[in-house]
Parts: sequence; structure tokens; C-alpha cells
Amino acid sequence: MLEIRNLNISYGSKKIIKDLSFELGSREIIAVVGESGTGKTTLALSIMGLLSQQSGDASVSGEILFGETDICRIREPDLRLLRWKRISMVFQNADNILNPTMTIYQQISELTGKNRDGSSIREMLATVSFPVSRINAYPHQLSIGERQKALVAMAYILKPDLVILDEPTSSLDPDARVKIISTIKKLSRDRAVLLVTHDLGTARSLSEKTMVLYGGDIVEMGPTEKIFSGPRHPYTRGLIRSYPGMDRTKDLQGIRGKAEFIETGCPFHPRCTQSIDICRLLKPVLKEYGGLKLACHRGGIIPMLEMRDIRKSYNKNNVLESVSFKIYEGETVGLLGKSGSGKTTLARIIMGLLEKDAGEVYLEEEPVKKWDAGFYSRVQMIFQDVRSSVSHRLNILDAVMEPLVIQKKVNRTDNITAVKKVLTEVELPSDENFLYGYPHHLSGGELQRVIIARALILSPRVLIADEPTSFLDPSIQAKVLKLLNRLQEDRGLGILFITHDPGVARKVSDRILRLDEGIIKNERLN
Amino acid sequence: MRKKCFSYIIAFLIIITLNFIVPRLLPGDPLSAIYGEEVLLKLSGETREYINSTYNLDRPVAIQYVLHVISIFRGNLGYSIYYKKPVIELVFSYIPYTIILMGLGMLISTALGIVLGIESGWRRGKRYDRFILFMMIFFSGFPAFFMGACFLIIFGVILDILPFQGAKTAYSGMAASGITFDFLRHLILPLLSLVFVFTPSSYLLTRNAMISSIKEPYILLAKAKGLKDIRIRYGHAGRNSLIPVATHTGVRLGTVMMTGTLFIEIIFSYPGMGTLIYNSILNRDYPVIQGSFLFVAVLVLLINFLMDISYVRLDPRIEYAY
Ligand code: SF4
Repeated sequence: MLEIRNLNISYGSKKIIKDLSFELGSREIIAVVGESGTGKTTLALSIMGLLSQQSGDASVSGEILFGETDICRIREPDLRLLRWKRISMVFQNADNILNPTMTIYQQISELTGKNRDGSSIREMLATVSFPVSRINAYPHQLSIGERQKALVAMAYILKPDLVILDEPTSSLDPDARVKIISTIKKLSRDRAVLLVTHDLGTARSLSEKTMVLYGGDIVEMGPTEKIFSGPRHPYTRGLIRSYPGMDRTKDLQGIRGKAEFIETGCPFHPRCTQSIDICRLLKPVLKEYGGLKLACHRGGIIPMLEMRDIRKSYNKNNVLESVSFKIYEGETVGLLGKSGSGKTTLARIIMGLLEKDAGEVYLEEEPVKKWDAGFYSRVQMIFQDVRSSVSHRLNILDAVMEPLVIQKKVNRTDNITAVKKVLTEVELPSDENFLYGYPHHLSGGELQRVIIARALILSPRVLIADEPTSFLDPSIQAKVLKLLNRLQEDRGLGILFITHDPGVARKVSDRILRLDEGIIKNERLN
Repeated sequence: MRKKCFSYIIAFLIIITLNFIVPRLLPGDPLSAIYGEEVLLKLSGETREYINSTYNLDRPVAIQYVLHVISIFRGNLGYSIYYKKPVIELVFSYIPYTIILMGLGMLISTALGIVLGIESGWRRGKRYDRFILFMMIFFSGFPAFFMGACFLIIFGVILDILPFQGAKTAYSGMAASGITFDFLRHLILPLLSLVFVFTPSSYLLTRNAMISSIKEPYILLAKAKGLKDIRIRYGHAGRNSLIPVATHTGVRLGTVMMTGTLFIEIIFSYPGMGTLIYNSILNRDYPVIQGSFLFVAVLVLLINFLMDISYVRLDPRIEYAY
């Protein structure tokens, strides 16, 4: 039905769509998702052949094949015959897209022709639950939701082969949204639909396939359910995390930085928390990864830490029995369990403080052979008992700096700069007074931040947090949890959050594991 | 809308009041100031009675005012010594020409300006647009009387193909159809001058409005709908461009059109209000001047009122603004 090949669109020197290719079957619904400014609307308009109307300096190359015709190449009069009869569109901005001086009826009937009576229009309007009695109203006399419905009715009235929906639900309240989505589903049964939206809820409930656009590139594409339940691309995950879905309990997280147009390398690399050198230099191509297409040099979000079949027993007492799980980059895994369930044992094994009987720990996909300085620069732990985890002979500066010294980084001026930076990051003062004070003068919350700063100073990739807030007042605990959430957003930390409190676990975790009698069980979040 | 009507009534009352006050501000007795001492003495009793009834100088001012208003509504505007006729009769014999000339001029120039403006704005920057725009800006610099004089000299004197004086050929004794034809021939030059004077402003307004209309999102929608070009141009862009045209034209139109028409009439000695006022000024025929101004002012008000109504009809959003 629709095939797009190597489509490039730029406005002046700004590339909006880069080498985009995809196909849309004649009964398929594909969602194109991405933040605003990623070129979604531009894509939609180019399929209507309306780019030149929108902006004078748009230049297009590549092919947009609609059936046999290449929309980029046909003449305007032929394009006119395709428009609306074969390809229609629901425009965004329901508030000003309709003609203010024509009634809804007039605006739809100029499509169907005067000779037909209005019953088909009425019927269509009724289908989208537009109040038919208001058919002769002018746009300004209608609510924005009603206008949106009228636009949907208008798009389907000529029964086109392809409908482009650009944010079709953006101005509706949740109830109306659910309704219009099911109507659109019904109306779209025999036709192709390209849904362009930043509303992930709409994309998820309407489409079969989802295409994630970032900076004019497809970064991930595949079956909608698969993408939403297990996004592989860091950007897709970021999008989903920042969308307040009903099935998420974790606090919202954004994506660090701002969208900018990147010419070389992965378009997402300035914001990606797991980017490596090659990401800056070379643009990843879209490749197949287990049913998904993905453009990422690292094959999507990487597992930071993996346990394979870890076993441990004391005096023939099995504390851990075949524990296996993964913690991905930027992911918080909650580990729930009663005291004595082996949580702390597990944490100590990960940190190499305790010998395991069997099994393997993998760090960034490599088995860990030695727990050396290299390991500790990448994996750090925050202990339960904050008071005893720093020596009270050290002042705060030295306490936070200690891991650097252990790593044999001895340039004191550099170290002080690093300490100041990390203290600011955990929202603590970094003036002399504070630096040369002593830990036992601090409040619990402040001390916990110092501990976190100390764990972060080596820029680890994984943080093992063993009941990090159990000694804190609830209000301070809330602040520390928020801080961890933000640090994760900025640094892409993988966090194993060990706690006995299911409430806390739900709030901070992407996934929850329960350790029961030494066995790991997956826990649903709600 | 009610508020609008109210302000028109106020404006009308102000005009009538001015008409009442001005002669009374003249030095001395308004009657002799206006008509002249000797003239008054020579008048017959009947005429003097008629004149007196418009002024009622023997009554208190308030009553004078009320009687003034009543007499205006009765059509009593005084008496022309020069023409030896009541002013109202004079005005009624001259005003139809003005209405025809101005009405046609307004209609043709507005229609022309709008159509050319729509076409021009639609093709913004293309050769057609640039040409029309240049011509319009060129002609918009000409004052009405100059434009009239040019046409008079070119077509009336040099080419000598069209009459350039009056509204009909005197003593022609033609048949009815001949009279109409003769009337139309006489109309051509003054009308043409008016059209040339008025078209540029409505053209420029329409073109501007059109240029901003075609950038509106609803034009994108109209294009996407695959509508015919002409339908988008007139039905969508053009239709919406008329709203700013109507608002901008509204107030200006009445006065500009009126003065333009009056000047053109004088140039072509066309027997309308312009000529009447001009002659009365030459003859110091104050009652006629006064009466004519009253009518002209009312006519201007009427035009503005019509514009206001059309504006409301053009923009469905306005109803709710009131
Ligand atoms: S890992 Fe590299 S290629 Fe993958 S998304 Fe991040 S920056 Fe892009």
C-alpha cells in the first residue's frame, strides 16, 4: 500500500527526516512515536504531498510509493485526485485547523459533493459520537473535543485507502479518548493507517506495529506489544518511562538533555547513558534483534550485571539456591525479601565480600574473575547502616575521596574538584565548612547523601543499595529515593535495590524480584 | 449589535444638533446672518412664514430645538433664495445622481479590488501579482479630482468620444431608450474615475488579508482535502480574507467615498450633491449648504452602517463577541 524508500527531508540545512524506509500494508496500523520535533508531522505531510505548502524551503529526496505512484514525483493536479479520496488525514491542532467561517456540515459536504444528501455525513458524525444536532455549528461554537471528532469523521467520510492520524486524541479527555480509539479501530478495519503521535497510550491501543523516531531516524521498530513491554532502545525506554502509564508504579523519569539534531554518529548519543566511543562516530543501522529492528551499536540496552545460577549454603543450609537475574543499564531492580531470606548474602556475594559456592557473576557481559579495583570502579554498594559505613576519623572531604585514593588517584586538587562535583550532584553543599566537617555532625539524610556521593565518585555503572533508606524518616527517605531516581536518569545507573518494604520497592523499581527461601521469583508490579 | 445601533443613533443626533447650533453661533440674528437682511425683507409673506417655521426664534431654546428636530423629520430644511425652492426639494433632485454614481462606484471598485486582490495574493510574488500590485500602487497615489481631470482631458477632450459634462444632453428630445443610453454615456467617465480612485485601497487590503490567510492551517486542510484550486482560493482563503477587508474598509469607506464622489461630480459638472454644494458655496446659499451637509452626513452614516452589518454577516465568530 505505502512504501517509503530512503526518504530524506530537510528544511534549509536542517535535516528533519533521514534516510527513512518502511512499508505499510493495506490493512496495517503503524504508529510512529517520538517526542515533538522528531519529524513526525513532517513525515505525515510529505505523504500527503503537502510539504511545499507548509514550508517553502522543504527539499525532499527518496520515494514515497503509494501503490504504483511516487508521491514525490507526481504533478499537483494528479496529487489532488489522490488526496482525501485515497489518502486522508486527521490533522493535529483541532483548535485552529478547521475553517472558522464554514459550518461543520459545509466543510464535510464540500468533500462528498452537493448532490448527495446529508445522511451519510450525519451517519459518519454519529459514528464518531459527534453531537449530530450541532452539525450546522461553526468551529468556534464547538468544544475542542467535538472539533477533533469532526476531523476524524471528515477523514473517513470518503473511505480512503490510507488514513494518516496526526495526534488524533490529543485534545480529548480520557473517556472520550478511549471511545474515539475504539471508533477509529472500527473505521480502520479495511484500510491502512499511519498513526503519528507522542501519546504512547494511543499508540499502544491502536497500532499493531510501532516505529520509534528520534531525530528523523527510526531507532526501533517492531510489534507494538513487544516494544512497549520490553523496549530495547534506550530512547524508547526513556519515552515509555516518561509517559504516565496506568501500569507503572515507578516515579516518572525523563531523558537527560534536550533533543538536538546530530549530524554524525547515533542521533541519540548525547543523551544516551550507555554510549561508547563508536556511538559518536558512526551511525548505527537498523538491524534485526529477536523480532525487533533496532539501531544501536550495543544491541540496545545492555545488561550491566548478571547473576547466573548463584548458590550458597551455610552448614548445609541452603541460603541461595540457583539465583539468576539480570540488571540492565539504567534499570532498578527491586529485591524484596524478609530478613534472613538471603538478600544481604546475595549483595555480599555480588560485591565479592563472600565466596559463592557455585555460579557466575557477569559484569557488562563478561564473567567476573577477580574482585579488584577495576570491578569496584564499576560496581559500588551503599550499606544499610550509614553510621558505621564511614569512619568517624575522616572528615567529609576525605570520606568521599577515599575510594579515589584506594584506586590510586592521588592528585589532591583533582580529587577535591571531583568531590565538590559529586556533592553538588547529591544536592549537598560543597563549601569548606562542609568539606572539613565530620560525618557524625550530619543528620541521617545528609549522611546518606554523603554515602551516595562516596559511592558515585568513581562513576560506577551499577549500584547495589542494601536497605539504603531504612534508617531514615519517611520524608527524608522520599527525598533520597527521588535523588536516586534522578541520578539514574542522568547516569544510567543500574541499581539493585534491596529492601523489605514492598511499598518502597514498587515506587523505585522497574522490576521486582522476591527472594524467598533462597529462590528468586518474579513479582508483578501491580 | 444593539450597541452598534445605539452609537449610530447618537451620531445622528449629534449631526442634527450641530445643524441646530451652527447657524445660531453666527454673529447677529441667525435669520439675517443666513439669508441676508435685504433678502428677508423682499420675501413674500408665505416664504417668510416657511423660513420662520424652521427657526422659531421667538420661542425658548429648548422648544426651538424640539421644533428643529421635528421640522427636519418633516423635511423642512429651509429655503434657497438662489434657486427659489425649499432646500429639501433641491436635495431630492440632486441626491439620486450622487447615490447612483457613488453606489455603482463603490460596488464595482470593491468587487474589482476583491477579485484582483484574491488573485494577486494567491499568486504572491509571481509576475501577475507584481504587475497588478505596481499598477494599484501607482493609481492609489492619484487624488480623485486629478484622476477625474485626466480622464476628462483624455477621453472627453482629446479623444472626444465620451461626454464629460452633466448627466444628460440638454434639449435632446430623445426617446426613452435613447435617454437611458445618453444617461449611461454620461455616467461612464465620472464612474471610471471613481473606480480608478477606489479600487486600489480595497485591492491592497484584500491582497494583504489574502497573504496572511493562505498561511492559515485551514488552507492546509483545504489543500489536503483535494479541493479544486478555485474553491480553495475563493471559498476558503478569499472568504476569510473578506473579514479584515470589511473591518478596515468600514469606517474609512463612507468618508473617503463621499468626498471622492463630490469632487468627481464637480469636475464633470455631474448634477449630484457635489455640484449642488459647490454652486451653493459660490452663491453663498447657506441654507442649501447646511441642508446638503446634513444629508451627506446621514448618507455616510448609512454606508458605515451597511458595512458594519456585512462585517457581522461575514464572520460568524462576531455574533458572540457582542
Ligand atoms: S548505545 Fe550508542 S548506538 Fe545505542 S543508543 Fe546509545 S548512543 Fe546510540
